[in-house]
Amino acid sequence: MKYLIKAYWWKPLTVFLLIYTVIGGFLMPVPRLPILNETIRILHFHVPMWFGMIIMFAFSVFYSLKYLSTKNFIYDLYAEHLVNAGVLFGILGIISGMVWANFTWGEPWSNDPKQNASAISLLIYFALIILRGSLQNDHQRARMGAVYNTFAFAVLIPLIFVLPRMTDSLHPGNGGNPAFGQYDLDSDLRMVFYPAVLGWTLLGFWIATLQIRSVNLQKQLDYE
Amino acid sequence: MYKTLSFQPYFCGMNQIIVLIKKDLLVDFRQKYVVAGIALYIFTLTYTAYLAFNNVITPAIWNALFWLNLLFSSVTGLSRSFSQEAHRSYYYYFLAKPIHILTAKLIYYGLYEFVLVVLLTWVFNLFLGFPIENPSLFLVNLLVGAIGLAVCFTLIASIVSKTDNASHLMPILAFPVIIPVLLIAVTNSRKIVFGASLGDISANLLVLICFNVIIIALSFLLFPYSWKN
Repeated sequence: MKYLIKAYWWKPLTVFLLIYTVIGGFLMPVPRLPILNETIRILHFHVPMWFGMIIMFAFSVFYSLKYLSTKNFIYDLYAEHLVNAGVLFGILGIISGMVWANFTWGEPWSNDPKQNASAISLLIYFALIILRGSLQNDHQRARMGAVYNTFAFAVLIPLIFVLPRMTDSLHPGNGGNPAFGQYDLDSDLRMVFYPAVLGWTLLGFWIATLQIRSVNLQKQLDYE
Repeated sequence: MYKTLSFQPYFCGMNQIIVLIKKDLLVDFRQKYVVAGIALYIFTLTYTAYLAFNNVITPAIWNALFWLNLLFSSVTGLSRSFSQEAHRSYYYYFLAKPIHILTAKLIYYGLYEFVLVVLLTWVFNLFLGFPIENPSLFLVNLLVGAIGLAVCFTLIASIVSKTDNASHLMPILAFPVIIPVLLIAVTNSRKIVFGASLGDISANLLVLICFNVIIIALSFLLFPYSWKN
């Protein structure tokens, strides 16, 4: 994080990747699949949201644990703003998923286990934000936030990756379906999809670093 | 003398845990109205459900209602597991290790949850019947689920006890985190209501037990941090 805040090279890269994603995602050839048809293009915008969210939450837990072991407030700041950016991505992921589901599954919310799991995971992180807001003491806010964040992430992983696979789901990769990559993600899609994941994730980190820098500046102004 | 000293850390820990459990028991014994309040809560909740459903209850609804009532009575019962410690934490901080405090709390509130489950099952049996062919399997699944509820709620209560509006925050923080446990337990329970045998639910039961182990391990890792001031 410290490196990302200081370094610049990855910001032009993010811009380039996202421009490529938008242009490539809408204009490049896609496989003709029944039901999905052209809606498959939203793959480049819906799925990277979840990748980005999970990666940011993972980094946030890493910094939460680092805060608990060192008691350095800067790590708590990283953890807090990574969670905020991750929640933003989660909301966008749910909305884009509902738009996609409306065209392919016939309704925006169809009691799919993965949909439910992602809604619950957002509830968990909303609760974390409320918990942080309701603690006045800085040390306590940071410590309780870190404890709940770690606990939440440990619940999130089985919730998103294990439980939906145990029941039938409309998502690929669940209920005995092969994960995507085997039959529905061909090389045309891959050429845009992987850069899209990288680009959106970097954008999330960009948002988080901007917030961290603004909070740091505000703190310095308050001291003066 | 020296021989006993070499075992001292172990005995010290056990003694501390037993003393802490006794202390919790004593506090509850002196404030009987709190425990009576939880019992009354269970009774009122079930009686309201009995009146609201008015004999149109099917086994599947019975199952969902049972788990919902268990969820609400557990969250009400266990949210106070750390609220009484707010003024005493300074003494504890010097006298007892956080691990011992947590062990004592988990054992005490595990038993507390067990009493809640027994009471709830009895009251449900009284008013809404007990439409299950395989009660022993149902109870095994119920107990495994209840352990998960007890451990999770105890950890969340230790976090929430540091805030001003603990009673608001407890359900908000605890419900989303407990949903995975609840989801597996309720699914198992529904299968049992529809006549499943141990073989049908053993995989899910194993996942539930693994989940409990993860939650217990995490609470031991995280509790020392949420405890310190």
